Amino acid sequence: MSAIKKLFGIVWSLMGIGIIPLVIMQAMKEIAAKPSEENWIFWSIVIVVLMPIIAFSLITFGVFALKGEYDVIA
Amino acid sequence: MAQHVTNVSQTEEVSSTRRVIAASSVGTLIEWYDFYIFGTLAKIISEQFFPKDNPTAALLATLATFAAGFVIRPFGALFFGRLGDLIGRKYTFLVTLVIMGGSTFAIGLVPGYKTIGFFAPAIVFALRLLQGLALGGEYGGAATYVAEHSPTGQRGFWTSFIQTTATMGLFLALGVILIVRQSLGVETFSDWGWRIPFILSALLVGVSVFIRMKMSESPMFVKMKKEGKTSANPLAESFKQKDNLKMVLIALLGATAGQGVVWYTGQFYALSFLQNACNVEFVQSNLIISIALLIGTPFFIIFGALSDKIGRKYIMMAGMLIAVIAYRPIYTLMYNEADLKQKTEVVEKTTVEKKEAVKGTDTVTTTITKKTFTDGTTYKETKKETIPLDEAKKAALAAAGKLKPETKKEATLPQESYYKMIGLVLIQVIFVTMVYGPIAAFLVEIFPTRIRYTSMSLPYHIGNGVFGGLVPLISTRLVEATRPAPGLPPADPLAGLWYPILIASVSFVIGMLYISNKTNNMDVE
Repeated sequence: MSAIKKLFGIVWSLMGIGIIPLVIMQAMKEIAAKPSEENWIFWSIVIVVLMPIIAFSLITFGVFALKGEYDVIA
Repeated sequence: MAQHVTNVSQTEEVSSTRRVIAASSVGTLIEWYDFYIFGTLAKIISEQFFPKDNPTAALLATLATFAAGFVIRPFGALFFGRLGDLIGRKYTFLVTLVIMGGSTFAIGLVPGYKTIGFFAPAIVFALRLLQGLALGGEYGGAATYVAEHSPTGQRGFWTSFIQTTATMGLFLALGVILIVRQSLGVETFSDWGWRIPFILSALLVGVSVFIRMKMSESPMFVKMKKEGKTSANPLAESFKQKDNLKMVLIALLGATAGQGVVWYTGQFYALSFLQNACNVEFVQSNLIISIALLIGTPFFIIFGALSDKIGRKYIMMAGMLIAVIAYRPIYTLMYNEADLKQKTEVVEKTTVEKKEAVKGTDTVTTTITKKTFTDGTTYKETKKETIPLDEAKKAALAAAGKLKPETKKEATLPQESYYKMIGLVLIQVIFVTMVYGPIAAFLVEIFPTRIRYTSMSLPYHIGNGVFGGLVPLISTRLVEATRPAPGLPPADPLAGLWYPILIASVSFVIGMLYISNKTNNMDVE
């Protein structure tokens, strides 16, 4: 079980890292296609609020999981 | 004799716990009521305070609607959580109640944009931020306070009463709005009647403050303070110490994020879907949600109590998994139930009424089309076209693509479909009760008393405020992305469900892998 937890730690970290370029590229693509105020507000909320929370929490959680910090909780 | 003394003592303990629950729950319910009336009346508030022709005011409208829920709630959690761990639970959540009640009451008194101009949206924006701040501090305090009064082995049951308050607050908000709207009529309500639910808050908060003033401090906090074991810096201790930070992360990713999206989808998105995708008429759609909430509410207590017996984890995870699997089938059924293309129109009953009037410098043409279908569904479409009398202005608006008519679609479902809709929303409310019923006890049990208020408030408000609160915004966006062209219906009206499905799925996997199920009878220290 702890091997699976550690293995998934890599998955969470990669997800956290991967989400940053993914979101930024999508935002740039959509804003370039339609630079409306609505688009700016939506992507600002996603980039400033949602993305940092997801990225930080997944990366940190993944690193902890990889180090076996959650093995004792089970 | 000894047996008699034990029985009396147990009866007193239960009676005292009941008083604590009642006093805490009433205050928390009122805070949720205050928070939701703003969201439920967002459209009217927008018309009163945030005129569309002023871009800065329109921007503030968007921020006011979202900022309080997303950014400010976690800040409120940090600010008041820290206070609660330093000076005590009782006074902290008394302060949050007063701030919430005061700002809600004040929103009801702020003059509109027509009277005081830009000050109107600015004041409302500031008051909305205060609401979010107060809400961020309230829940953690109430849940902690109740949990610290609850006997070991019954914490899930007793804290589940606090868990009913968010849903009951929404129910109360919808109920008060419907009653006031029906009593005054739609026009009077839109003009000034919408202020009544806000002003009413002062009375509710007054009663709740009076009750809470009589409560005593949490026994665990008092004991800890006497022993000098309170935290000197709860924020640093919660988030800088690895052992606590890892619990904050697991609470967020494995529980509150999934719970937040399930909560918002089952209640808010369901209402938005009924009104915007299914075009169900305002009163009927609100009644569908209200009845489902009312029937579903006891399940918070059932699942809370069950979590004392079998553990918190499996109930919360089952709620998330079933929600992930069932959302699309449920919403497909909802959509089909109201889809007019699948119904047979009684053509001879169709009426079209056209009115034309000159209002100021514009000609306003209103076309009302009424249709009846064989299953008893009635449909009303009101198309309002405003065209300037001045030809140059008309040409300029046409060139800018701003001459589009405003269309309002309202379908009133027959009784059978109405009951089916209640059933389908009720199923979603049951998912909500599964994930939300045991979560207060779960959060309380994974953090120590000295930093509990701070540590549990943050993941709760990020999970609910950010992950959950973004459901309407992101889901609407996902649906819009499938619209082939403006004015045409979206190719996939259910596309909005992918966001809650994805977040709940990740939360489910993390929760199943990393959360322990052994917390249900642990001692809270």
